[in-house]
Amino acid sequence: MINDEISPLEKKTCIRCEASINLTAKFCSNCGIVQSDQLTNHSGNKWALIKQTALFYLIYLEVCVVSKFVNYFHTFSWLLLINAVLAITAIAFFCLDWKQNKTLLIWRNFSWPKLCAYLAIAMLASMFVQYSVDWLDITIYSQQQEYYANLKGNIFGEFLLVFFVAVVPAIFEELAFRGYLLQAFLKITDIKQAIYVSAFLFAIIHMSLISLFWLIPFALFISYVRVKENTLWYGVFIHFSFNLTACLFMLS
Amino acid sequence: MKDLIQAPTQPYQHCDACFARVTDDDTYCAGCGYPLKGSENEQKKFIDHRNKNDVNLPKFKKKVARAGNTLYYLSAVFILYSAISFFTSANDPYILAIVIPYLILAILFLILGSFSKQKPLACFISGLCLYVIVQVLIFINDPEVIDTGIIIKIVIIGFLVKGIKSAVEVERIKNENNIA
Repeated sequence: MINDEISPLEKKTCIRCEASINLTAKFCSNCGIVQSDQLTNHSGNKWALIKQTALFYLIYLEVCVVSKFVNYFHTFSWLLLINAVLAITAIAFFCLDWKQNKTLLIWRNFSWPKLCAYLAIAMLASMFVQYSVDWLDITIYSQQQEYYANLKGNIFGEFLLVFFVAVVPAIFEELAFRGYLLQAFLKITDIKQAIYVSAFLFAIIHMSLISLFWLIPFALFISYVRVKENTLWYGVFIHFSFNLTACLFMLS
Repeated sequence: MKDLIQAPTQPYQHCDACFARVTDDDTYCAGCGYPLKGSENEQKKFIDHRNKNDVNLPKFKKKVARAGNTLYYLSAVFILYSAISFFTSANDPYILAIVIPYLILAILFLILGSFSKQKPLACFISGLCLYVIVQVLIFINDPEVIDTGIIIKIVIIGFLVKGIKSAVEVERIKNENNIA
């Protein structure tokens, strides 16, 4: 919720007693109740909300660490299970505040030009990242490449790779980080800090320090788009386009 | 201050608690919620609550400052690490792979520390998560180092958690007192 400039002469109604009060008033001059907007309404349980996000983040971190560093889990069936666990975690936490979060799933003001512009930006950014990563000589999707080696015998190998690298993360990482986490931080703090924190947490959970140089700007951009457009879907498509381009590089 | 505000030459009234302009029609101050027409007891309760906040505010600010210093301390530690590993393994062909991650961490904590004055909450949450992830990665790399300096690790995490808690409180008090 981004407030535009407001003139002091305009009036609003109190959220409790519905008296007409100045638009800039922080408290109702009739009943004294604080006039905060919906997102900062939970001032009392901010600390509880922070603990909730910490629980979410620890679960996510734990699953990511296990799937990344324990060789035992590097099989196709475990890949399926781990993706399912992450997806369920994301959905469960997203649904904790379903009443407010469901508005994010609505795609208001859908526009083709905007979507195409975002897709193009994501594709260009992904190409830039791929070339700079080649130049830095580090593999960022080493884990997925390993999966791909496993999948190679399969006729659907390429489709599965696209599915697990581009489709699944695009939907569920967006749901988890731009859906649940960003929304929770918007209730805890102001818009800017919420965007920074959710982007930084998203970037560091990939556990690659070198990759931070593109992960942080990428995450900041998606978070910004999500707050500006007030819908998850542009983020999902940006993420999808970004990962798909990376995927095509991997296949070629 | 109070004498000045209640001077009879003022053409309009001020709230006794926050100096915002109020009119005769207002039951409560629109700026701070002070009960203008409330009983003496209610007004006293309001002021007491605010005074309590005033007493607590420096305490919370101190904890916020301490958490900010913790971020600087971590930055210094990682610079030290990178320097040590640089000089102890000077002949290692992969020396950059050891030194650069520590340097990146040092820079990240330095950035977080320097922004912790303006955006304390964001910096402390980011710093805490980064620190935890780094510890997890160090543990995976070599499970035996978990208990070296465990007390310092717990103290660092404690300082950062208290910093987060205090930053929330500071924001709440500033909102209530209409400073922000």
